[in-house]
Amino acid sequence: MNGRVLVITSGKGGVGKTTTTANLGTALAMLGKKVVLVDTDIGLRNLDVVMGLENRIVFDIVDVVNDICRLKQALIKDKRFESLFLLPAAQTKDKTAVSPHQMRNLTNELRQEFDFILVDCPAGIEQGFKNAIAGADAALVVATPEVSSVRDADRIVGLLEAAGLKDTQLIINRLRPKMVRKGDMMDIDDIIDILAIELLGVVPEDESIVISTNRGEPAVMGNGSLAGEAYRRIARRITGEKVAMYNLEDNQNIMTRFIKILKLAR
Amino acid sequence: MPADVAARGSDQDLVIDLSAYDNLEEMKQQLEQSLNLLEDFGHKDEVCIDVGMMRLTEKQLRELENVVKLFGLSLKELKYSQKQWSGKVPHRVPLDSHQILQGGDTVMISRNLRSGQKFYTRGNIVILGDINPGAEVIAGGSILVMGSLRGVAHAGALGYEEAVIAAFRLNPTQLRIADHITRAPDGESIEVGSPELARIRAGKVVIEKLKI
Repeated sequence: MNGRVLVITSGKGGVGKTTTTANLGTALAMLGKKVVLVDTDIGLRNLDVVMGLENRIVFDIVDVVNDICRLKQALIKDKRFESLFLLPAAQTKDKTAVSPHQMRNLTNELRQEFDFILVDCPAGIEQGFKNAIAGADAALVVATPEVSSVRDADRIVGLLEAAGLKDTQLIINRLRPKMVRKGDMMDIDDIIDILAIELLGVVPEDESIVISTNRGEPAVMGNGSLAGEAYRRIARRITGEKVAMYNLEDNQNIMTRFIKILKLAR
Repeated sequence: MPADVAARGSDQDLVIDLSAYDNLEEMKQQLEQSLNLLEDFGHKDEVCIDVGMMRLTEKQLRELENVVKLFGLSLKELKYSQKQWSGKVPHRVPLDSHQILQGGDTVMISRNLRSGQKFYTRGNIVILGDINPGAEVIAGGSILVMGSLRGVAHAGALGYEEAVIAAFRLNPTQLRIADHITRAPDGESIEVGSPELARIRAGKVVIEKLKI
């Protein structure tokens, strides 16, 4: 098997990297792919909590790269899907416990076993970021429709290019269609204008994400969640399927467009 | 009984004491020697081996078992009596758990342990505070939490199966005693408002109300 390594990154914290990783991983597993989620946020691990697997952790990524245990021993099988695995971060160490070289070896080993390796990158642009992108084939940049988040995403895209990672796609998270319609929030086109990378998907703001995160059950598993539906679509796009963009602005009327043009003109 | 055999009857079991040795070859030699000399006491068909602080791998265990089998006996269980090394002389007097606890050092921590904080001690540990999720406490002996235990606690980390974990609110991410690892079952968590104690009974970690 020759798996693809995707790093999920954003620069800014709190935009939904971990939620995105958990949901895309679960959605890919639901599509029958063999998936491993790698948490590289050493010292601030979260992915295990979001997946509801915290109490199964015995070994972690630092143990694996230091040969304290075998890779297979550290991989935690998801409680819902047979083909979904988690490699947790260590909580009592820091980012320097792993080097980019070790990460590259690790992802290469995982490539043999899995279809998709999703690497959850920590916030920031320091060692943790460098580790996370070291073995990656492609990057999914998560940004929310906020100036600060887009600014950081822009910086990240620049750093990814500098590191030789050309395949970058954008996921816009926590979009509020109503606010966009009123012209109070940056819309998708504004963001793409600035970042100039391919859009992979848009995830609407959804309260059910808070519930599912707290419960440790990714939102893609339920049917009622808008965000879950958006993640399922993104997952299908990742597997190469052509899926229509979920148009959040369908019911934008002429009046709101007019207001928006006026606002821009000021 | 010949002078260089360290064996003892604990309750009904015949225990061969190998706790003074720290490598497998010597252990095997001593075991063979002991069994040879004990062959006259042929009324037993099961023996226990006390390996002290040594932690055996599966393979090493099987090697010891093979030696026992050569004498037509079977290995009932391994015992881990924890005690200080005192040279290479086998102990004659069995140490019971009370003596071990008295001999071990106890550390006290008077604060809460937060996520990412990890404590390690060879002896016992008492925490006047909480252990939050993501925090870890590892002790060679027992762990007592005068607060909520929500993180990971590992008692008897050197293989001491008699170690216990007690907490005012026992609600851990994971409990480990010696080689046993447990976690709460998936789904609803049960809130117990009283102090509880975790210990190994019949090879399993059991949690019971703390009776004082």
